[in-house]
Amino acid sequence: MISDRPSVIDDNKLRFDSFISDKKPLFDGRKRRLPAMGWNSWNAFGSGNTEELTKAMVNKIKELELYKYGYEYIVLDDGCYRPERVDGRLQSDPVKFPSGFKAMADFVHGNGLKFGMYNDIGTKLCSGAEVGIYGYEKTDCEDYIRWDIDFIKVDNCYYMWDNATFAAPENAKYSYAPNIRSIEVAGGFYSAVKDAIITGTRAEVKDDYVTFIGTFDGTGPENSPTGLRSSELIFDVLAPDAGEYDLIVTYATGAEEGVGQWLQIAVNDEMIFDDLMAETESKDDFRSSEPFKVTLESGVNTIRLMNHRRQENTLHSYAEIKRELINAGGDRDIVFSICEWGKTQPHDWGNKVGNSWRILNDITFQVGSDGDHGTAAWESDYTTSITSQYNKAVIMDEYAGLDFGWNDPDMLVIGMDGIDMTMNISHMAMWCMLNSPLMLGLDLRRVSKGDEIFDLITNEDLIALDQDALGIQAKRIFTTYECDDPALSYIRDNDRIDVLAKPLAGGDIALGFFNLSTSEKTLDKKIDVDLILQKIGFKMEDAARFKDASSYSVKDLFTKETKSVDEKVFSVPALPGCGCKVLRITPVA
Amino acid sequence: MTTDAFIRELCSIFGEEYEGVYDRAVKCGWLDTEDLLFKDRTITRKNAARIIHMYLLKVSGLSDISGISGAEKLRDLYDCRVCTNHVAQVYLRGIMDAKDLSKDGGFLWFDLDGEDDPETNRMYLKRAAKYAARSLD
Repeated sequence: MISDRPSVIDDNKLRFDSFISDKKPLFDGRKRRLPAMGWNSWNAFGSGNTEELTKAMVNKIKELELYKYGYEYIVLDDGCYRPERVDGRLQSDPVKFPSGFKAMADFVHGNGLKFGMYNDIGTKLCSGAEVGIYGYEKTDCEDYIRWDIDFIKVDNCYYMWDNATFAAPENAKYSYAPNIRSIEVAGGFYSAVKDAIITGTRAEVKDDYVTFIGTFDGTGPENSPTGLRSSELIFDVLAPDAGEYDLIVTYATGAEEGVGQWLQIAVNDEMIFDDLMAETESKDDFRSSEPFKVTLESGVNTIRLMNHRRQENTLHSYAEIKRELINAGGDRDIVFSICEWGKTQPHDWGNKVGNSWRILNDITFQVGSDGDHGTAAWESDYTTSITSQYNKAVIMDEYAGLDFGWNDPDMLVIGMDGIDMTMNISHMAMWCMLNSPLMLGLDLRRVSKGDEIFDLITNEDLIALDQDALGIQAKRIFTTYECDDPALSYIRDNDRIDVLAKPLAGGDIALGFFNLSTSEKTLDKKIDVDLILQKIGFKMEDAARFKDASSYSVKDLFTKETKSVDEKVFSVPALPGCGCKVLRITPVA
Repeated sequence: MTTDAFIRELCSIFGEEYEGVYDRAVKCGWLDTEDLLFKDRTITRKNAARIIHMYLLKVSGLSDISGISGAEKLRDLYDCRVCTNHVAQVYLRGIMDAKDLSKDGGFLWFDLDGEDDPETNRMYLKRAAKYAARSLD
C-alpha cells in the first residue's frame, strides 16, 4: 500500500553510519559475480520494443554466437508493460508483447540465454506507465519469479521521498533537514553557526543559520562522487551530570532543494528522533521545537542534527524489492541492477542489495527505434556522452569489486549515430577497463560476423579485462591534466590523455592510454614500472615478480601484435582524437 | 483537451483516418497503449510533444535533428528522461513553444506536465503539419 511518509527504518544496516562501517550485503547467499553482459532494449528501441523485435535479437545473438563471448542476458527495459495494473498485478503491453512475459522468458531460456526485466521504485515507470513497484513489492516479485526472470533493472522515476530529478520538487521536505539556528540543552545555548561543526560539503551557513543539511543529487555530472558528500551539524555539548535533559532545537522548515522538514537527531550516536518536524510558516520563520528527552553522560556529549534519508530511503526501497524476490523465489541468484542514476551516491550503499549501480543519468536521451539507430555523443555538458560517464566512473574504482559490485556508466552506445568507429573502440575499451556491465544497446540485425562492430564487441582480449577473475577496476595512474591526484580528481575537461592501469589474474596488468580530446595528441611521458607499482602494486597478485621481471611481453589488444620490452617503461605513439591504445603486459622472469 | 480530442485533431490536420487509428498507430509506434487507455485524460505538454514527434518520425518519415544541445536552454529538459528527445525535437523545430518564467527572458521552461488550451494544441499540430510539408518538398 502507498504510505503517506517514508518507512520507519528499524535496521541499522540501512543507516548512513553503516555505509562505511558495515559494507556486507543485507541478505545472505550473495554470489561474487563479474559484471553482467547482454543486450538491453532501451538504447536500441526505447519504449518501442516489442516481442517480435526481442525475438529477433535473441535469434541474432544465436546466429552471431555472442553468447560464446559472454553476452547472455536479454533485458526488456521500459515500455513493455500494460500502462496500468489489472487486479493489482502487472501485465505485458497487449500490443507489444501479446504472448506475455512468461512466454518471452521461455523463448529466451529455450535459446540458452537469460531473461531480464525492468521496474521502478516509484509509483510510475519513467515512461509514465502507472505500474511502479512501490506498494506492490510482494505481488510484483511473486510475478517476476513466476516469469522466471534472471535479471532485474530497477529505475528511480516518480519516487515519493525525493525531490530531485524525475520527482516532485516539494518532496524536498523528506530529503533535507530544516534550517537550523541553534540548540539548547543542559543549560547551554549552542549556535549552529558559531558552535557546531559542519561535516561534508553540502551544508552551508546563511546569515545566522545553517541550511542544505542533506545529501547532493548526484544525477547530473556537476559533483564529484569521492569524498564525504553528505552534511551533518555536530555539536559538542556539556552536561554537568549524567542524566536526562531536554533538548530544544530552533529551526525553520521548507519544501524545496536545500531546506526540508525531516530531521534526524543522534545523541552519542544513538538515533533519538527520525521524523518530520512540526511545519513552520516559512523557511525563514524560526521556532523552538517541543523538548526532546535526551540522555547525556557527564562531560562532553555529541549531538548530531542531520538528514540522511535521501540515501537511506532509496536503499530501503531497493532492499524491499530484494527481500521480496528472495521471499518469493529463494536463492535464485537474480542479478539486481540498481538504476537510480547516482542520485543518492549509490556507490556508498549499492553493494548491500545490488550487483551494480548506475553512476549518472542516461548516456543518451536520443534512443533509437525500429529503423532508427538513435544518437549518442563523445562529449557533452550533461551526462549524455561517453566521456561524461567515463569521467566520473574513472575515479570510482575503490567502490567496485567482487565483494561489492560494479559502477555502471550505463549501457553501451556502440552502433548509434553521432559517434564514429574510433569512438566506439575507445568506448568499449573504457568500459572493459572500468569493469562496467557490458549491455549492448543496438539493433543486432545490423551486425554481421566479421564486420567492424562485430569484431569490436567480440574482442576477446578486451572482454577478458572486464571479466578478469580478480575483478579489479582500473585506476587512473596518470593524466596530462594538471591535478592533485589522478586517481581521485574529478576532471571534466577532455583536453587530455589518461593512463589507466588494471591488475589482472596471473600477475599481468592492462595499461590503457585514452585520448579524451577530439584532436591527435602525443603522450610525452613514459609510464614506468615504479609508477605502476606505486599506484596499483598493492592490488596485484604478484607485484614483486612484475617488478623484478627481466622483460615484458606486451600485447596490443586491438592489433594483436605482441612484442618484448626489455626496459621498465611503456609508451605509445601519438593517439588520434578520441583514440586509445590498450596493452596487456605480462612479466617475463 | 483530452488525448482523444488531440488525436482526432491530428487526424484531421494530417489527413489521417480516425477510425482504427489507435490500433494502427500503436503498431506503427507513434502512439502508446497508454494513449488509448487514458484517452479521456487531459493531454499534457510532454505527451503532446511525444505524439507529434513520433508522428513526424514514423509517419512523415522525418529523421531526428541529431544534436539537441540547443534545447538545453529549457531548464526542465532532463526532468523526464523518456521525454527529453520528444521535447527537444518539437522545440528545436519551432513546433511547440517554451514558457518563459522570468521577466527578462532568461528562464525557459517547457512545463512537461502542463496543459495547453485547445487553440494552442491546434496551433502546434498545424505547425507540425506545415513543418512536415516543408521538409518533404
